[in-house]
Amino acid sequence: MANNGMRYVIIGASAAGMAAAEAIRNSESSGVITLLSEEPVMPYFRPMIPFLISGKKSAADMALIGQGPYSGTGIEVRLNSRAEEVDTSNQAVMVQGGDQVPYDRLLIATGSRPYIPPEINGTEAKGVFALRTLTDASAAADRAAKSDHVVMLGGGLLNLKAAFALLERGLDVTLVVYSPEVLSQLMEPDDAVLIRNALNKAGLKIITGCSATHILSQAGGVNGVLLDNGQEISCQMVCIGKGVFPNVDFLQQSDVQVDQGVVVDRFTSCNAANVFAAGDVAVTFDPITGDRIVTGLWTNAVEMGRCAGYNMAGRTTEYTGTFGILNATQVADEPFVSMGIVHTSETDLETHVFSTPKTYRKLVFSEEGERLVGAVFIGDISHAGLYRYVIRERMAVDKIKPFILKHTLHYGHLLLS
Amino acid sequence: MAQPKEIFVRLDRCMGCHSCELACAVEHSQSKALYSAISEKPTPQSRVYVEWVAPDNRLPVLCRHCEDAPCMHACICGAISRTEEGVVMTNTDKCIGCWTCVMVCPYGVIGRHLEEHKAYRCDRCPDLEIPACVSSCPTKALVYQTVGEFSKDVRKVASSEILAGEGG
Repeated sequence: MANNGMRYVIIGASAAGMAAAEAIRNSESSGVITLLSEEPVMPYFRPMIPFLISGKKSAADMALIGQGPYSGTGIEVRLNSRAEEVDTSNQAVMVQGGDQVPYDRLLIATGSRPYIPPEINGTEAKGVFALRTLTDASAAADRAAKSDHVVMLGGGLLNLKAAFALLERGLDVTLVVYSPEVLSQLMEPDDAVLIRNALNKAGLKIITGCSATHILSQAGGVNGVLLDNGQEISCQMVCIGKGVFPNVDFLQQSDVQVDQGVVVDRFTSCNAANVFAAGDVAVTFDPITGDRIVTGLWTNAVEMGRCAGYNMAGRTTEYTGTFGILNATQVADEPFVSMGIVHTSETDLETHVFSTPKTYRKLVFSEEGERLVGAVFIGDISHAGLYRYVIRERMAVDKIKPFILKHTLHYGHLLLS
Repeated sequence: MAQPKEIFVRLDRCMGCHSCELACAVEHSQSKALYSAISEKPTPQSRVYVEWVAPDNRLPVLCRHCEDAPCMHACICGAISRTEEGVVMTNTDKCIGCWTCVMVCPYGVIGRHLEEHKAYRCDRCPDLEIPACVSSCPTKALVYQTVGEFSKDVRKVASSEILAGEGG
């Protein structure tokens, strides 16, 4: 069938890229949608890769196409197709191997990759992982099968999830955290007590206030980690979870503006004509703090990718930004949600903390107390989305504040108060 | 395509009797019978929540199956999708209990089943012609209609009020 439609090219076939493709397909049926993926496997739900390590799910269980909202047809994903350059004047993407892919609309959705601290020596040794892709997780699962003890460097959520996957396999796991407490990006040390207790109970060994200086190895790969306090831990595997940074290297020769990530306007457009960006690779903003941020969250990437897809297809859609801190999950038996501004030490923000042996919540209001700006819920996270809505819409909270403080807020209060 | 039916709430009719909650939990039990449902494990849960707002308002709140469902797009494992009837469904087998949907639902109507470690919400009772909450409502505060039918009823009430006003 002849097709004279718009040529949409999307670099990156994960959250932002696939969400954009779906949004384009929902908007118009004639366009040709091509995604260029550097990975060797079809798109998958990246946050699920720890389950490959625990063995609870197979790679097939993580497949994205045909699941959830991803039912669009006529979306071509080219694997092993790493973009090497973007020529914005001729509107074409150079792909590894020499192919040129012309576009009418281009989305940069290359995501991010793990940050490997250069000050740690020996990170190239066999048995050292920074879990990002299905391929990484698969290799980590193989290594785990031959290991007894794993050292995790970094106390963020990615490492905690991976640590649990390894614990479930019956391995000993030691988490080395530079900050005074785990999850320091998502909450303050005092907020994390219940989570820390749950981690301890689950058998995770945690060393805080320390960082690794050397990863030691021999012929078979990793055999230990040396910490900056002189302690040496023997292990057969190391996972590095020290954050991510945007994949923008391939844009060096292009005129697409990069400042940490790809710079976009409120409508997800880059400075170059017909070029858009979304997801981890893009610089976005936090509507509460006004800060320019790059985030690394699946949910954010999907939201921004959908927005970019609509804009590419001609449905002008403003991206409203996202919280720099926004996460929900369960570690051990402890569910938690953290969102908005939650680091309140040395600020004048009005902060309320309610703590019981089983639950913890922290509610952060503006200095004058008239708006909710952040919340941490641990143990009981019910109705968390309502609080997110109140934060995001910058609602005046005078009438609903008592319910917010008592954690009894429900939709009726927003509708009828 | 025929317009699908939805569950509408008539705010002026709810007395706050919670019958809908009970009927919902029973319908989502294994036995589908009240007395045996009580002792079932996992404990059957209601997916409709009757809330109260001062001074004297009652409000059954349940999943709106949003046209632009935030939960479906936010889900990190593809467990939430929309059926042909427009129902936003959580696939319990796929759900990993990460609670991202709970974090993004602006209505607060996604529950966490603690025993099963799964998210749950209104599924509009796929086995029933009329959802259990609607059938059980003694005051017809909950109705199961298409948007067209529901708005027609609203217009009818409005016009009879206008007529009464003009006549009086």
